[in-house]
Amino acid sequence: MASITLKNLSKRWGGFVAVDNLSLKIRDKEFLVLLGPSGCGKTTTMRIIAGLEQETSGDVYIDNIKVNKLEPKDRDVAMVFQSYGLYPNMNVYENIRFPLKIRKTDPKTHDRRVKHAAEMVELLEYLHRKPSELSGGQKQRVALARAIVREPNVFLMDEPLSNLDAKLRVSTRAQIKHLHHEMQVTTLYVTHDQIEAMTLADRVVVLNRGVIQQIGTPSEIYDKPQNLFVAGFIGNPAMNLISGKIKNNKFETETISLNGFRTNDGNVTIGFRAEDAIIQPNKTRAVKSNKISVPVYSIELLGDSTMVSFQISGSLISIKAAKEYSAKIGDVVTICIPISACHLFDSDTGNRIKDTL
Amino acid sequence: MNKKNSWLNILSLSFILLWVILASVPFLWTLWGSFKVESDFFSKQDWRNAIFGVRTIIETGGMFTTNGYEGAWIKEEFWRAALNTGIVTLSVVTISLTLGTLGGYALARSGFRYAFWILIAALIFRAMPHITLVSGYLLPFFELGLWGHLSTTIIVLVAINQPFTLWMLHSFFSTIPKDLDESAMVDGCTRFEAFRHVIIPVMWPGVITTGLFSFLLAYNDFAITALLLTEANQTMVPKIASFLGSAQEQGNVMFAVAAVVSATVPLFMLVMFFQRQIVSGLTAGAVKG
Amino acid sequence: MPHYTFLKFIWPSALAMLVFIALPIMSTSVQSLFIEHEKILETVENCTPFGCKEITKVDLEATEAQKAENPLGKFNGFGTYTNRNHLAFSELKQAWRESNGLNEFLAEVFNLPFYKALSFTLSYTFIVTPFVIIIGFFIALAVNRLPSFLKGPTIFVCLLPMIITPLIGSLVLFWMIDAEGIIGSFLQSIFNDPNLSLKASPTLTWIMLFVYGIWHHTPFAFIVFYAGLQTVPRDTLESAMIDGANRWGQTRHVIIPHLMPLAVFISLIQIMDNFRVFEPIIGFNAQASATSLSWLIYNDFRSGDGDMLFGSAAATSMLTIIGVSILMTPVIVRTWRANRPSQGVS
Ligand SMILES: Nc1ncnc2c1ncn2[C@@H]1O[C@H](COP(=O)(O)OP(=O)(O)OP(=O)(O)O)[C@@H](O)[C@H]1O
Ligand SMILES: [Mg+2]
Repeated sequence: MASITLKNLSKRWGGFVAVDNLSLKIRDKEFLVLLGPSGCGKTTTMRIIAGLEQETSGDVYIDNIKVNKLEPKDRDVAMVFQSYGLYPNMNVYENIRFPLKIRKTDPKTHDRRVKHAAEMVELLEYLHRKPSELSGGQKQRVALARAIVREPNVFLMDEPLSNLDAKLRVSTRAQIKHLHHEMQVTTLYVTHDQIEAMTLADRVVVLNRGVIQQIGTPSEIYDKPQNLFVAGFIGNPAMNLISGKIKNNKFETETISLNGFRTNDGNVTIGFRAEDAIIQPNKTRAVKSNKISVPVYSIELLGDSTMVSFQISGSLISIKAAKEYSAKIGDVVTICIPISACHLFDSDTGNRIKDTL
Repeated sequence: MNKKNSWLNILSLSFILLWVILASVPFLWTLWGSFKVESDFFSKQDWRNAIFGVRTIIETGGMFTTNGYEGAWIKEEFWRAALNTGIVTLSVVTISLTLGTLGGYALARSGFRYAFWILIAALIFRAMPHITLVSGYLLPFFELGLWGHLSTTIIVLVAINQPFTLWMLHSFFSTIPKDLDESAMVDGCTRFEAFRHVIIPVMWPGVITTGLFSFLLAYNDFAITALLLTEANQTMVPKIASFLGSAQEQGNVMFAVAAVVSATVPLFMLVMFFQRQIVSGLTAGAVKG
Repeated sequence: MPHYTFLKFIWPSALAMLVFIALPIMSTSVQSLFIEHEKILETVENCTPFGCKEITKVDLEATEAQKAENPLGKFNGFGTYTNRNHLAFSELKQAWRESNGLNEFLAEVFNLPFYKALSFTLSYTFIVTPFVIIIGFFIALAVNRLPSFLKGPTIFVCLLPMIITPLIGSLVLFWMIDAEGIIGSFLQSIFNDPNLSLKASPTLTWIMLFVYGIWHHTPFAFIVFYAGLQTVPRDTLESAMIDGANRWGQTRHVIIPHLMPLAVFISLIQIMDNFRVFEPIIGFNAQASATSLSWLIYNDFRSGDGDMLFGSAAATSMLTIIGVSILMTPVIVRTWRANRPSQGVS
């Protein structure tokens, strides 16, 4: 059906760079999620693809055809807006039908297609309501139905779930995933919510300040963050990061030192995930290397587990423990950081140091 | 606390009452007086005559007389002026709104810096006293043979009206979410189709309010119509002014009074009709700018 | 929006403003540098049985021909600006030299047509505008407190003075305060003075025009403020209530700050509108004691033997435009700051 290629795309407003020399290929039928903090240029990128925003430089190809000069209507993309963009003067039926009408498709097919689209998002009973008489979740589904009704080449979705409550978000998320599976349409999905990104995406693109940080499958992004930004952004809680120095295969900060890093000397930051470190019962007092004794800073019950945090060399470190774990704030405990679970980053460039350990 | 509130209530009520009286009595009085004879309306002997119409009864035999209206509408052919005003006002409102909605929409959606400069220029243009512009028109219009036509006056009024119309509609369109026309464009519309199918249906509150102000400008104008139109195709306001010159000597001031009342009626009807829209239109857009 | 789409939408409006506002201003400035041709005089010998006399008369044909050839008139530079009817530099100098004391000097100055009109125009602008804003604000507050079934009719009546044609509105008031009109003769009977006339005294005429201006413009301020009151955020008002603000406190700390931008907007419009005050002077027939800049221009077109004084009108127009620009500068700069696109927009 359609692939999308962005080549050296940039967007500037005056001196402000919103998208910086971005190159990306979205494969046919792929579900690609654009993930990044607020204001990093996700919406701008998507709007450039849709033709709603003029790029400052660079090219956009849909199906290997350059579309820079095409009007939005000629790009055959469908877009779901963050604030829905429903037409307030039309009822749900007319809203969904609008793209068909305006594109002059055969009027005889309209009713069938509208009903079919409405059915896919479970809206059949609301067809005669005006948008003002719908709840947020229903409006969202109307916007979805309007996008799917004309079976476009590409779906663009800009944080479609951000206005929904937590429960509705989960169910609509599943619905979107299901729709994509059924329709097999190339989809670009923008979000700043990493759970959404992880659950929906075939591949995730992490964006910061208009620059791509990493492209990969959700597990790649999670297991092998390419730089400090991705490490600190992905995961809940994000990866624990401690900066220090490597000297003679030994990682050192002012307060701790860990052995066994077979890499060149220099300023590095080590990272490890909360679930990879272990809190040892106080009795095993055998102090080997890579075990540190620190006081508990705070302790939170999450339901299925307990999150214990510590302050080490100025960074807040979180470690997951079993839900039965108990300790008091201030208790000194021993934690063990397995070298094999550690990620190493160059403190100066922020990049992952490739062949560690 | 309660006592203080009730005092405040009385104060604010009487304040409104005072204003309502100040605002309405001149009109009621002129309406009443327009059905009297001149010696009652301008009574040399006793101001109460005007109320009871002493002279009117003596001169015409009835409480009320429609002499003023007959004189103005039939003898002085005020209907011609009324017709001209109708043509001018209707055309000005329609054309201004058409140009203004297109321009205001573009300004609200452009996002480029020059849109802002156009608005500033419009603001400066809005400040120009109309008659200073007229002094720029007269000579070229004489030379080009454009002077004296209704159509010239209409275009001039439209142009003079544009700055305010653009500002009002620009701030109104800015309150309509951009998502609306953008989803229409992704759905398959050109910019203009998006404007037609999606924006036009939701723009009426702002347009009605703006249209009302355009109407007032065109209908009430004196400076431009008085100087750009010939005697033959005068509109109502300059016609009334010309009554005053001639009427006072002939004792026909009552023609002017009747004409004034006649010219005021459509304004009243209009505001009565659209009063709710003025407030909601201003609330929806213009007030936020 | 791409540039060409923007252009497609804006061009009719922009063209109208360019041709009928920007060009006329330029045309005015050119015209102001020219002055009407002098009449071409010819001397003819007029012989009667009692002898011959030489008389001078206007050669109409030659005058017309000259006018047709060069409709602008002849170049006069800034002469029109400095003559007695405009800035009157030499008269000012003379008055300065000859008058003893500032008062006498000022009296002389305000007898010059331009300064007389300027003084009225400025007084009118700066007296009417603040009154309009303050009274309009209080009416809006008061109407907002009315029970809702009264609101509609009250708003309608309150708006009447604004919608009325200015010329008609001033005529209506003028007829009432005429010595023989209802208020005029009522006052005469109260004060028992058959010669009392509001029109006769310049001071009273000025006051009358101010009152008319306030009466006419207040509803505009009222309706804008009233619309603004409808958008006062309820949450803020309620949190002010919870914080213990009484009614006055709410007004001062929530409502007035909320309406402040509107007050700026109203004063902007009011200064523009009041500076062009014109119709009331015609309506009240007040030119003997009060003239405005706009009236001066109108008068140049209406004066004398059908010849329009284009040069003089244009010079007054230019001075008026300069005046209004000076008045508007602070407000426009403010608007510019407030509406300036926050981040850089390309
Ligand atoms: N019209 C504009 N003019 C100037 N700057 C803009 C404009 N639109 C967006 N920006 C800036 O560009 C940057 C990127 O905006 P964008 O909307 O793409 O962010 P985003 O990643 O979608 O953020 P969010 O998650 O909050 O929606 C922001 O810093 C924003 O301030
Ligand atoms: Mg966004």
